[in-house]
Amino acid sequence: MTQSFLSIRGIRKTYGQVTAVKNVTMDVAEGEFMTFLGPSGSGKSTTLYILAGFQDPTDGDILLKGQSLLSTPSHKRNIGMVFQRYTLFPHLTVGENVAFPLRVRRVGQAEITDRVKKALKLVRLEGLEERKPALMSGGQQQRVALARALVYNPPVLLMDEPLSALDKKLREEIQFEIRRIHQETGVTILYVTHDQEEALRLSDRIAVFSQGEIDQIGTGRELYADPATHFVAGFIGDSNFINAEVLSNTDGNARLLLPGGTVVDGVPMHAGKAGGTSASLLLRPERLSLSSTRIDNGLTVTIKDITFLGNNIEVSTQTGNGEILSVRLPFGHEAISGISRGDQAWLSFEPKSTHAFV
Amino acid sequence: MGLSVTADGGRKTPWRDGSFGYVVPALLLIAFFFIVPVIMLLMRSVLEPTPGLQNYRELLGSTTYLRVLLNTFTVAGLVTIVSVLIGFPIAWLLAIMPERWSRLVLAIIVLSMWTNLLARTYAWMVLLQRTGVVNKVLLSLGIIDKPLALVNNLVGVSIGMTYIMLPFIILPLIGVLKSIDPAILRAAALCGANKRQCFTRVLLPLSLPGIASGALMVFVMSLGYYVTPALLGGTSNMMLAELVAQFVQSLVNWGMGGAAALVLLLVTLVLYTIQLKFVNPNRAR
Repeated sequence: MTQSFLSIRGIRKTYGQVTAVKNVTMDVAEGEFMTFLGPSGSGKSTTLYILAGFQDPTDGDILLKGQSLLSTPSHKRNIGMVFQRYTLFPHLTVGENVAFPLRVRRVGQAEITDRVKKALKLVRLEGLEERKPALMSGGQQQRVALARALVYNPPVLLMDEPLSALDKKLREEIQFEIRRIHQETGVTILYVTHDQEEALRLSDRIAVFSQGEIDQIGTGRELYADPATHFVAGFIGDSNFINAEVLSNTDGNARLLLPGGTVVDGVPMHAGKAGGTSASLLLRPERLSLSSTRIDNGLTVTIKDITFLGNNIEVSTQTGNGEILSVRLPFGHEAISGISRGDQAWLSFEPKSTHAFV
Repeated sequence: MGLSVTADGGRKTPWRDGSFGYVVPALLLIAFFFIVPVIMLLMRSVLEPTPGLQNYRELLGSTTYLRVLLNTFTVAGLVTIVSVLIGFPIAWLLAIMPERWSRLVLAIIVLSMWTNLLARTYAWMVLLQRTGVVNKVLLSLGIIDKPLALVNNLVGVSIGMTYIMLPFIILPLIGVLKSIDPAILRAAALCGANKRQCFTRVLLPLSLPGIASGALMVFVMSLGYYVTPALLGGTSNMMLAELVAQFVQSLVNWGMGGAAALVLLLVTLVLYTIQLKFVNPNRAR
């Protein structure tokens, strides 16, 4: 096996009886943008803090270019980090904040001035050296924090939900900036977020964390099209789940019996479970077709609600045994005309667009 | 009506709605029982025994009295420095330790503040005397071979006063240190700052306003402190407040007592002005 740039091997972290991180293993390539995505308490931040050296793992190792990082204290790891909260030094100007990592490394003044200027240019805050952090907006402060974390050219940049304190519009603007900076500098980024849209927008690959473990690592497309677990399917993109009975499962192609007697063949299914067991079937709202006329082998539903959302329309439907399925149709879709609340309708879908989980 | 804060929370000039009347009794009380007597004392310093500045000439011209001034500033300075050096680590520990532990330690500190000042000073006398616990321990450990003179001199005064002043530096510092986000120190560490650099470049500058105001408070209080110097100090090395008491009580020389008191008051006011500059809330952090 070739040696990877950054390798996290079997990291486990327990606090007394509580296990925060169970078993995290991953390899990150140089220059990659890797996002840890998961709900709070899923172990993603703890893993990042272990990388930063703020916490020691109970078990496991972290290798950077083949060298273990664990015995190196935080201040010698040469890793950059942007925090969730604003962590600029309030007593220093913007310029001195960015200069701080260079000052503690005893870099010469001429070089400091030059590199601070370049770092501030990178985050598009050139000329603001003399300003105090308290007089800046949250977005500007996080840009300065980014400049401070990059000014010493760290091989790895950690970002712990850096945009969570900002409003949506500003968040999208800085996401764009982060992408640009990643492309310009080629720095390897490990990014923690609970926002799937942010993860999809920024990352090369996403590691989905759930209860201290990684459920799946892959590109956004992979996670969306081929989720490994029920959790990943529910976390990435919008999703409906209905209960189904597995009639047979051969080579990842399942034949399912849906409530109401509909039989679907050729549904992708990971775990090789035998027939007769129950499973839940993932149906993406945007991959469902709605028809006001009967479809053979379609799911019979009742229209519960129709919500206009601008560029699309969300139709909430209910199956015969009470399960709610939401369907998303583009604005102006012909199926919507003549349908109103309480009407009967039929849902159909391409089996390949679904996924079954045990 | 009556409150100086309006319903919408905006502050109003308190005088405009007639609420000034409510503070008149307090002002009169302060005027009659504090300001007037002080002025009268200070007047006597330039009027007795004859009008003129001879009291000040004597006070500032005599080496004995200058010695007292020097003692006062030395002890107050020493107490302030040692209080900061001891108080800062304690305040830092209290700021970062788990709440239930810090509450316990804080309770002990506050409780010691509430204990009668005389009782505490006498306790130090017992501890520091020639046959006291401190000397006994040092002797039995072989660190010294004859008892140290720890009371009836400025050493005793400094030890006792440092103990008494510690809470006045610890309590305000805890607030300042608690307001510093631990993530800022983590950021400093990840930026490459070692423990010493984190302290000198981040923690210390951020806590400086707290240290400055606490230290000035201790210094000013120490300048005019009476009970502890009177009990733990010797007759040969007096501090200013003792001198004032001696002039007034033993020598019944109100003129010299007033002059000494005015010197103390002026020094205090100057330092107070400096402190106001330091902790000006309008100054950007």
